[in-house]
Amino acid sequence: MANWFDVALQAIINGLLTGALYALIGMGMALIFGVMRIVNFAHGAFLMMGMYATYVVFQATGISPYYQFPVAGLLLFVVGYATYMGLLRPIRGQVDFMVILLTMGLALILVDGAQLVFGADYHQINIPLLSRNIRLGSQISINAPWLVSFAIAAVLACVLYWVVTHTMFGRAARAIAQNPYAAPLTGINVNRIQAAAFGIGSAAAGIAGALLLPVFYLFPDVGNQFKLKSFVMVVLGGMGSIQGAAIAGLVLGVVESLTSLYWGNEWALAVDFVLFILVLSLKPSGIFGSQRA
Amino acid sequence: MKNPQIIIAAIFLVAALFVPLFVPTDYTLQVLFRVFLFAALGLAWNLVGGYAGQLSLGHAAYFGVGAYGLALFSRLGISPWASVLLGVVMAVISAAMIGKVSFRLRGPYFALCTIAFAEVLRLVAKNLPNVTGGDVGVQVPALFMQSATRSFYWAGVLLTAFAFGLTAWIERSRFGYYLMAIREDQDTALSVGVNASRCKLWALLISAAITGLGGALYASMFLFIVPDQVLAMEISTEIAIVAMLGGAGTLLGPLLGSVVLETAAETFKNIFKEAHLLIYGVLIVLVVLFMPEGIVGTLTSKLGLFKKAPPVPFAAPLPVTAEEEAQRAAVSE
Repeated sequence: MANWFDVALQAIINGLLTGALYALIGMGMALIFGVMRIVNFAHGAFLMMGMYATYVVFQATGISPYYQFPVAGLLLFVVGYATYMGLLRPIRGQVDFMVILLTMGLALILVDGAQLVFGADYHQINIPLLSRNIRLGSQISINAPWLVSFAIAAVLACVLYWVVTHTMFGRAARAIAQNPYAAPLTGINVNRIQAAAFGIGSAAAGIAGALLLPVFYLFPDVGNQFKLKSFVMVVLGGMGSIQGAAIAGLVLGVVESLTSLYWGNEWALAVDFVLFILVLSLKPSGIFGSQRA
Repeated sequence: MKNPQIIIAAIFLVAALFVPLFVPTDYTLQVLFRVFLFAALGLAWNLVGGYAGQLSLGHAAYFGVGAYGLALFSRLGISPWASVLLGVVMAVISAAMIGKVSFRLRGPYFALCTIAFAEVLRLVAKNLPNVTGGDVGVQVPALFMQSATRSFYWAGVLLTAFAFGLTAWIERSRFGYYLMAIREDQDTALSVGVNASRCKLWALLISAAITGLGGALYASMFLFIVPDQVLAMEISTEIAIVAMLGGAGTLLGPLLGSVVLETAAETFKNIFKEAHLLIYGVLIVLVVLFMPEGIVGTLTSKLGLFKKAPPVPFAAPLPVTAEEEAQRAAVSE
């Protein structure tokens, strides 16, 4: 019989495993927000696109999502880059709300487009890994796909962090975040860097979608909940701090998991938002990571 | 009555009162009810989002509280119209609380915060089936017994007329100028002694009262509500888009926006069936890209319609005298 400690530990482990995927989504959003002050309401739709792309490739070739996730990443990078260049650049300098409206409209187009192409049905894929469980001790068990997706997400999160902190692109992006007026004076091509940041942020969402595919249902509006969660993560992490968003993702995963355990699954999202409002009203600079990406 | 926007709206609204005498089908009247309902909601949003420049994406909260207020208070045995009033009071109270927290934030933070509050309310309504009926829904009493569709339509037109009149009055009042000052530059407004927090809060309270009333009307029209219908983010965005499409911060904007958007949405639903949201999305993107000031705003700036006396520029350059002209020419040589 499982005692309370094992139950709680299992919930925390599950939370961390989900949290790593949240972290990837949140980091993508934080990068976009940090560099451009853009709240991307199409982030969830991008994740959904990544899921469908992976689904299509899987149906065609049978290659496991854990090998072919770069396809989704690449696709979403291109989509993100093009979105910035084609739609967002022309309205730069207008009030934030216009950007919110535009990305909302884009999300509607993508979600409804997916529904037209793939239908409103729920899809799921089956890979052999799904039935594998890894046991730790007598009470704790970990579903293998979650562990794999955790590992991939963790590696990618570190890569993303390294890119932002140690590459020329990252320095330029942080310079734009710090001062969008001075950055071009030092020779930074603001448009190209912002487009690349938007592309990379979108790619993170797309890859998270690819990694979610084996363990989640796929339907056109699947991205909506992740979009809302990514807002929560970005605020929790300190607006624009990508390491903050990563920690916030893990925390959010654990909080949701514990909420589901003790209060029921239906309260998880509500607790997310209450946390979000509390942070915004008590410490609007976020609780993890003060440095802005 | 020099403002052509008021004259147009007055003629339009008076004409609208007679429409039921010529349009016999309930379906058409229901669509028109929605047009006027969202016109009123857009006008209410416009006070906060347009004039004060606080872009709320959580007006579904007040809409839903108004709707649930009617349903739940009347379940306690209170008469329907008194329940409507109580629902409106609840909407105003929730606006006071939401405003208290969210008005401390600016820009996208504010918009996200309003979304969060509306979502919390939706999730609470979903997860407390004993109180709200949860996802199963709850019955709403009918506010009008005889010739219901017509009565709802008239109520919608009257609500729009009320919201429009109020906006027209506010636009000309000291309060209205305070709101516009806050929109243009909050810090400057503060520095000249405008109590920005109080003004924003009052605008939101008025806005929430009208929105709550609209929610109650909507709920009573359907006789049955669920959280995902009246507290949905789609309601918040639709309200905001109606106002933005017509022209945020303009008097006629929300009315025009609702006429265009709601008739377009209804037409799309009939023609494109499943793809209507896609067309809707395309419409939003096109408006943002090509008509960021909305229909009325674009007409004003491009065609010079509805133009008021030009505002006095803050620091108008003085006309250059011939002497100065000569001096400058000398310097540049």
